[in-house]
Amino acid sequence: MTRRLVFWITLSFGVFMLFQFFIPVVGGAYRKVLDWMQVIYLSSLLVGVIALGLQHLRKVSTLSSGWGYSLVTVAGLVAMPVAAFWGTGESSVFFWLFNNMQVPMQSTVFSLLAFFVASAAFRGFRARSLPAFLLLVSAAIVMLGRVPIGTKLYFDFPAWSQALLDIPSVAARRGILIGIGLGSVATSLRVILGIERGFFGRKV
Amino acid sequence: MRLPRRAFAFLAVFAAVTFPLLHPLNISDRVSPEAVKFKALIDSIPAGSVVMVSFDHEASTVAEVRPLATVLARHLFSRDVKIIGLSLFAEGTAIGNQVLSLVAEEYGKKYGQDWVFLGFRPQFQAAILGMGESITNVFPRDYYGKTTSELPLLKEVFNYSQIALVVSVADGDLGYAWVDYAYTRYHARVSAMLTAVMVASYMPLYASGQLSGLVNGLKGAADYERLLDKPGAAIRSMDAQSMAHAVILLLILGGNAAYWWGRKK
Repeated sequence: MTRRLVFWITLSFGVFMLFQFFIPVVGGAYRKVLDWMQVIYLSSLLVGVIALGLQHLRKVSTLSSGWGYSLVTVAGLVAMPVAAFWGTGESSVFFWLFNNMQVPMQSTVFSLLAFFVASAAFRGFRARSLPAFLLLVSAAIVMLGRVPIGTKLYFDFPAWSQALLDIPSVAARRGILIGIGLGSVATSLRVILGIERGFFGRKV
Repeated sequence: MRLPRRAFAFLAVFAAVTFPLLHPLNISDRVSPEAVKFKALIDSIPAGSVVMVSFDHEASTVAEVRPLATVLARHLFSRDVKIIGLSLFAEGTAIGNQVLSLVAEEYGKKYGQDWVFLGFRPQFQAAILGMGESITNVFPRDYYGKTTSELPLLKEVFNYSQIALVVSVADGDLGYAWVDYAYTRYHARVSAMLTAVMVASYMPLYASGQLSGLVNGLKGAADYERLLDKPGAAIRSMDAQSMAHAVILLLILGGNAAYWWGRKK
């Protein structure tokens, strides 16, 4: 019974959202559906946050392996919303925490990429074959074409770099995008028509 | 103690990034055609028009996106174009508000009249589609908790029809969502300012004209600063990026030389 209900809800909302694009008369209902989408998403977000908090609280209370990390997660999960209650303006505690903790920590982790890229490039980027050689040359041109030092080395590097981005890269990306688009249409139809039922969950 | 070879690579990158930041090299550069086109796009917007700037990025890429957003806000405010700021990524909210309030102060712009910051909305598809119907319906209150329908700027702007351009400052795929939902459904004019790593993904949209403008990473921000003759964080950072690219290329060359030398032996 529940599965049949899920199927009919999916079918009716799927068909509605498909046809509302061509029938502007249903504007009022369409706006309502958009509001519901946000309400449903926020509810699922709340479920996710509660589940994450409980999972980590359990690890802390049982002092299981890595409980220290869980404690930090729970502290962050509680501290930010609590701080936000006292305002989110530029002189608030929330903003101070965001600016002086979250931004530097995330930027630091992201910056480490430069070091790993350098190390990986040194150890793994080898011209072992013709395709690997072409990849290496293309990467070198794009890297030099995007920075001032490349222009100093050879004035036409930016143009070469742009040509690589504009022609072969766009051609490849466009092919991928068309494939993704067709795949999305096929998957959406399978879901709307009830052929794909994985998201229904377990049998009830 | 013998350091592993990887440690030398790390040290080289560290030196390449820090040295130019401490001692600027001031290497001149050619301005990219995309930056020229983007500036012309903004210049074509009449004074008094409204541009929507969406801060669709995480905190981790702040070093690249803040110069992009700052130079855009400076250009818009210098031309008396009004800004509606928002974020579809929770972490972009505080950064977006900070950038807009700092630049607004620099140009003496009044909140509510010359610019507003709507804050964050989750579920980007519904938010983008919803703003095509009514902005105040999606954002009944702004970032500061004020009722949006009472703000003078939003008394004139109802949906994308009154917005001259949407700019997504993004470090991921959210710029695509603006094209999918705002451009396709509501024919809003959309453009993007992106981290360099995302540019290749967006090039098909730019080539087809679905994106009316595109600024490419820190290099694009530096070009934009040069075009406006307002040197800032992007130009300062380009020396570090130059040296880092050069070091990585030297490491690749070194690695290949060692590989071929080894094979010969």
